This record gives sequence, C-alpha cells and structure tokens, in this order.
Amino acid sequence: MQSDELANLAISLLTTVSILVVISIGLAVVFGMMGVINLAHGEFLMLGAFFTLSGQRAGLNIWLAMLVAALGVGVVGLAVERLLVQFLYGRLAATMLATWGLSLILVQTVVLIYGPTTQGIPTPLGSMKIGGYSVSEYNLVLIAAAISLLGLVYWVFTRTRYGTMARAVTQLPNMAASLGINAKGVNMLTFGFGAMLAGAGGALLAPVAGVVPGMGQAYVGRAFMTVIVGGPGVLTGTASSAGLLGSVDSIVSNLTTSFLGTAALLVVAIVLLRVLPTGISGRTGRQL
Amino acid sequence: MSALREVAARYRPSYLARLPQEVTSFLVVALIGTVVAFVIPEFRAQEWSLWVIYGLLALSFTFVWGHAGIFSFGQAAFFGIGAYAYGVAGINLSNATGESLSALVVATLFAGIAAGLLGYFIFYGNVGDVYVAIITLAVTLVLLTFMSSTASPKYHIGDALLGGYNGMIAIPPIMVGSFTALDSRQLLVFCIVLAAAVAFGLHILLRRPFGRVLAGVRENELRTQLLGYDVRRYKLLAFVLAGSIAGLAGGLYAAWGMFINPSVFSLQQAALVAIWVLVGGRNSILGAFAGVAIVQGLSSSLGEGGGSWTPIVLGLVLIAVVLFLPSGTVPTIRSLVRRRLNRSPALPVSQEVTIARRRELKDAELEGVLAGGRDASEAQSLRANRLTKQFGGVRALNGVDVNFLAGTIHCLIGPNGAGKSTCFNLLIGRYAPTAGEVLLGDRNITKLRPDARARLGLGIKMQVPSYYGDLSVFENLWLASFARLRSAGAAEGQATRTLGWLGLSAKAESLASALSHGEHQWLEIGMVVAGSPSVMLLDEPTAGMTREETQRTVDMIRAVSRFATVIVVEHDMEFVRALGAPVTMFHQGLVFAKGSIEDLRRDERVLDTYLGRSVSADAAN
Repeated sequence: MQSDELANLAISLLTTVSILVVISIGLAVVFGMMGVINLAHGEFLMLGAFFTLSGQRAGLNIWLAMLVAALGVGVVGLAVERLLVQFLYGRLAATMLATWGLSLILVQTVVLIYGPTTQGIPTPLGSMKIGGYSVSEYNLVLIAAAISLLGLVYWVFTRTRYGTMARAVTQLPNMAASLGINAKGVNMLTFGFGAMLAGAGGALLAPVAGVVPGMGQAYVGRAFMTVIVGGPGVLTGTASSAGLLGSVDSIVSNLTTSFLGTAALLVVAIVLLRVLPTGISGRTGRQL
Repeated sequence: MSALREVAARYRPSYLARLPQEVTSFLVVALIGTVVAFVIPEFRAQEWSLWVIYGLLALSFTFVWGHAGIFSFGQAAFFGIGAYAYGVAGINLSNATGESLSALVVATLFAGIAAGLLGYFIFYGNVGDVYVAIITLAVTLVLLTFMSSTASPKYHIGDALLGGYNGMIAIPPIMVGSFTALDSRQLLVFCIVLAAAVAFGLHILLRRPFGRVLAGVRENELRTQLLGYDVRRYKLLAFVLAGSIAGLAGGLYAAWGMFINPSVFSLQQAALVAIWVLVGGRNSILGAFAGVAIVQGLSSSLGEGGGSWTPIVLGLVLIAVVLFLPSGTVPTIRSLVRRRLNRSPALPVSQEVTIARRRELKDAELEGVLAGGRDASEAQSLRANRLTKQFGGVRALNGVDVNFLAGTIHCLIGPNGAGKSTCFNLLIGRYAPTAGEVLLGDRNITKLRPDARARLGLGIKMQVPSYYGDLSVFENLWLASFARLRSAGAAEGQATRTLGWLGLSAKAESLASALSHGEHQWLEIGMVVAGSPSVMLLDEPTAGMTREETQRTVDMIRAVSRFATVIVVEHDMEFVRALGAPVTMFHQGLVFAKGSIEDLRRDERVLDTYLGRSVSADAAN
C-alpha cells in the first residue's frame, strides 16, 4: 500500500469517526448527564444546519454563521427544557414520546418556512492533493472540530463552576439540591448545552450533507448507536465508541460497499453490547 | 423454541378449562366485524383494515411494554421485517401456490426469529432498561439506512427486488387460494378475525401462569429472579411473541398496500407505535385499537382539512396527552365511568388483622406449607471456601471460610462495612467472587446465577424490601409457590397454606403495598418459605420491627429451622440473642470471631470492635 493511499484512507477514516463524534456528542451530554432520551436530537442537528443556511444567506461568513447557529440551537434547547422536558424527568417513555412530538413539530415548522426541498451550502475551502488523491480540506476541519468539541466538553465539565455542579446533580440530585445547588437551573443549562452541541454538529454537517427538514432522521440512529455503545461516560464513551464504530464503518465501506459498512456497524454494536452491556465506559462508572 | 413448547404443555389443562369465555367474546367480535364490514362504504373498509392492522402492531407493543415491562421501539422493526418477509415470500411462492397465507406465516416466523436474535443479545447480556429502548430504536433506524441502500437491482431475493428507497413493488394481496385476492370488505373481515384471535389469545395468556410471572418480572425483576425464575427467558419469550405479532401485522400491511418501502423503519413509524399505545392506555388490549382509531382518525381528518399542519397538531396532541393524560384515554375513561357508577373496587378491609397478628403459630400449618413443595427438599449445608471479593482497589471480603451446617440457624453480625452484605450477595449469586467457591451440600454453585441457585433450594430475602407492591398478597405468595411447584393449582394451595401460617389470610386480596411494615417482612419470609427451600438466607428480617413483632419473627425462624438451614444477617443483638444460634462476626472482610453470642460478649476484641462495653454491660443485665 502506497503512503499516499494510506494517508487518504486515514483521513477518510478519521472523517467518519469525526462525523460520529459531532452528531452524537450533544446527545451524549443530555443522555449521559441527565438520563434524558431526546428523540428530537436529530431535529436539533437539522436546526443547526438550517440556522447556518440562514446565517449565510443573511451575508454572514460561513464560520460565523455556524457559531451563531450553534448558539441559536442552544437557546432553543433552553426553551424546550423549560416548556417541556422539565416536567418529564424520570419518566422515560413520556420523555421519548413528548420529544418525538416535538420533533414532528420542528420538522413541519421548518418545512413550512423553508419548503421541503434540499438546500445546499457549498463546501467551504478547497481540496488538496495527497499523492494521487484529492482530499477535501473541509474533512480536516471536521476532524479538528470533533477534537475541539470533545475538548470543550472536557473543559466545561471539569474546569468550570457550572460543570462541577452539573456532575454533582447528575450523581445525586437531591443531595446536590440540599447543598444549595439550584438543580433545576443546572438541568436547564445542561440541556441547553447539549442542544448547543447538537446545533454545532448540524452546522458542521451542513456543507457536506443535503440540508433538508428530514435530515435529522439520517443521523439520529447512528448517534443513538454511538451513545449506547459508548455508555454513560460522556467523553470517554463518545470518543471510544465513535472511534470504534467509525473505523468499522469506514474500513468495511472502503473494502466493500457502504451498505455492508452500515451492516458491520450494526453487528459490531450489538455484539459489543452482549459483552459490555453498559457500554464501553460502563465499567468506569458515570464519569467523564 | 423448546422452552415455548414446554411452557405451552405445562399450562394446557387449566387453559382449556378457561377457553369458553374468550371464545364466545371472539365469536361476537368476529360477527360484529363481519356485519360492519358489509355495511360501511368500501373506502372506509379499506381505511379500517389499515387501522386494524396498526391496532395489531400497537397490541404487540401493549403486550411487550404494558405487560412485560420492556420498552421496545423495535416493534416497528419487526413490523417492517414481517412486511419485507411477506413481500419476498409472497412474490416467490404465490405464483406457484395461488395463495399468500403461507407468506403471512413466513412473515410471522421471520419477525419472531429476528426478535429472538436481538432479544438474546439484549436480555442475555443483561442490558439495562433504558438501553433496551435505545438499542431497539437504533436497530430500527439502522435498518432504515440499510434497506434504503438496496436500490440496485443486484439486491434481490429470488424474484423479489428489494428496491431501496423506492420500495418493493408487486407484492401479492391476501389470497386464500386459487389466485383470487380478497376484496376490501373481505380483507377487513380477515383482519378483524385475525386481530381478535390474537387479542383474545393474549387475554388468555395473561391470565395463565406465564402471564402472571410476566407481571412479576414487570413489577420487580430482582425479586422474580430470586424466587427462581429465569427472568431472561421470560423476557425473551415475551419479546419473541410480541415480535411475531408485529411481524404478522407487517405481513398484513404489505398485503394491504401490495407495496412496502423502508419508511416502516423510520423514527416516525417507531414512535407512532408507542403513541397509539400511550394514547389508548398502556395496559389495555382494547386501548391498543382505540389509540390507533383516535390518532389515525385525527390525522386523517386533519389531512382532509389543512394538510401541512397535520404533524404540528399531532405533535401538540401527543405532548398534551403525555402531560395531562399520562395513563391513556381508555383507562382514564374507564375509571371515570367507574367513579360515576360508584363501584370502585374497594380493597377488603379486615378487622381480624390484630387478632391474626397475635395468633399462635401453628407448627402443623408450617409442616403443611413445607410439605406442599412437590419435592420438599431436606435441609442442606452451605459452605464457602476462601471467598474473596474485590471492588476496584477495595477488598470487601478477603478469603472467608464459612460452613453453615444443615438444619441449623446461623447469624452473621459485624459493623457496617465488615463484609456481611458482600458475603450475602456472593452466597446468593448477585456478585461473582474474585476468588473462592460456594458449595450447596456437595454441589459447587459458584458460577450459578441467583435464579439457578434458588431452583436448587436457596431461599432469599433481601435487606431492602422486595415484594410486588402492585400485586395482591395472595399473588405475591402464588408467584413464590409457582416458582417451585410449576403447577398453577398446586401453587394456589401452597399460597393459601402459607397465608394461613403467616396469619395474613384476611388480607389475601389487599395490595401488598398496603400492608404494614412488619407484615411486609413476614410476607417476604412467607415468600421464602412457600418455595420450600433447603437453605434460607435472610438479610435483616427484623429491621424496623417492634419488639413484639421481632419476637414473632424469632418464633417463625425457629420453626422453619427444623426443616431448613437458616442464615440470618442482623444488627439487632436482642434478636440474635433470642435466636440463640451460633454467631459469625465479620470485621474488615475477614471472619473475626465465631461462637455463641455469650462467647462473643466475653471476647475483649469483639467488645472493642463491635458490641461496645457499656451497651453490652447493660444488655447482659
């Protein structure tokens, strides 16, 4: 195997892994820290993409538009937590159904505003040559963004006052509340933070995926799979399971077809759960 | 599958005895369905066939979630698998056979097998509840991606092209024979008859022992396991049954539209199943069909009005149901009607309770209870050799040797953190030891799961209260008896005898959660005794009891110890002394001292580490 072929494969593999990270990190925060299964996660991704589209059409620089989009979805997340999710903590089925209802509403609202057709955002940056292969430079951006988002999550949860409180509320909400932590406020922020990460994921996907109201569907399954295989550890879980599943998908897809790649991802994920029922990070407990 | 046959064979006699009532109801529903099908306009017949098919799918979810307690988003996946299986089998077979019922059977079987495979990994991997929901959802969504990428003509099975996003076309309709398809009215009748058969079949099943054990699994999985039921197997069987029903519905769906595409695997479809059931009512068989009629009726009437607002209104309705009608419409209406008619099912209130509590224990009754076990076992010894358990860096138990002789009482005491509970959990099999072995009689049980140990004669009462709060006292004891006796009738006799021995006969029909604290403890002891164990392990049986209640518990345990080895973990020294049994004291993960409580009182080291001086001096007086 030539070194340029190897480099090309490595970048393609890292890109697949990075996409898994950016689509699932927000879900991992909301699920891992709060135990909330948010079925509107795919729609948060979709909103991130559409906000980016709007920002760009309004004349913003693409990177700035992505940043604004992520923050915008974060605000949507805060509102959703206040209006809906906060009434449903501890009610697993009810949360899923209500957030699914929310996803219906979000998709249709976007259809009413933007129409049902696919919108495109041109891929920023160009492409570069590695030996005989042409690689999109945006793939490198995706890889860097995945690493930065993981870093951001690490920083927020370990280095900020809010992060410490959020971890305390995760472990023992009543104890945290009796120590004077505003558990309600912390939950709201965590949900908002997760939504913001999802928005960032959607914004980053916008240039490489078709921006359609139903686009969340295409990613939400893989996002959930990554989070379950990862287990309760937000960072270690997401990073390791995205790494594993992304590699399997990418390698099998490269060797055969993307059809078998998806199949391999599913099989590996299910077999892995037979061995490690609480996910890769399950043994280490509920930490980052 | 052999397990299924075994279960079916086991329950046959009483099953036949109960048949008539459901059969009559089934015939009535089928008759009304037939009349309705030929009265309504043809397009309604077509629409209602779809609703009945969806109702069947919803019913599979009602069963697996409402009755087995498994929140499975996979019903849509099995529905889709059934639909594709029907398509493939129908296209390949019906040209030769002229009927498509065989394809319907293939759809049911294939979905059942898929559920079996997925369920095996989920339940035998001991995946947690939340994860079951997400795994089944993720599998469904990955199937969506998977089936969508089969557009190329090279993906075919026999003559059937999978078709990718565009779906599979030219699927044969329901044909009973000789290449004639049912018209839409006949199809509606066919669907109603099938759905009614499944619904009444489930109705029967839920009242049979299998259904009662499932209720136990749903209410308290750990307790059910400790009674000796292989919870994994029950869940898997329920999952396979629900998967097959969903597959049958999927086959009907493919036949109804003569077309199937991957959107059956979408989040939309997966969640819709849960919504129908949530709207209709989680436990209600009728609710499954009512939920479909309400949701589909609403969305089709909205569709006729203002098209694009449908999902938004539907989403809002859904959120409103979740927030304001959490138990679903059918149960809510039912309880409203009941309140209006003023016939709330009052729990029997008894004045005999205090009398019962003071009643003398009758040994003859106990012998009846213990002999009630079909193969009432002899007391056996329980031994542990060099038992060690390490949690991370902490060695909770460090090479403990204990030997509990057959037919005697033993007490385990020690300060908090001494390793008592770890030892208890290793003996019952909730933890796997880091090193060492556990022997029941001569049999090495170190590697057995708790339910397998329970079947060998280990009776277990946990420290934290563990009973079925939402089942009646009688049902609690019935489940404990059935675990051992495996016969519904014998278990009823055994449960009745145990109630008598406990002095709780007057409260047989009360919900277990309505008992007093002391009665809960006795109920749990009764649940252990009803299983005729050869070794009983009781973790803090007198926690929170009054002195009087404690004394009665001492009498109970003494009586039982003539038939079984009893091992008690306790903190209450008064109780330990009253039992007058040999004591093993744990400290820092080791056996620190052994002997009678009086011996330990004289041991300076024991006084220093646990009993304390002034207290023991007072107690000695």
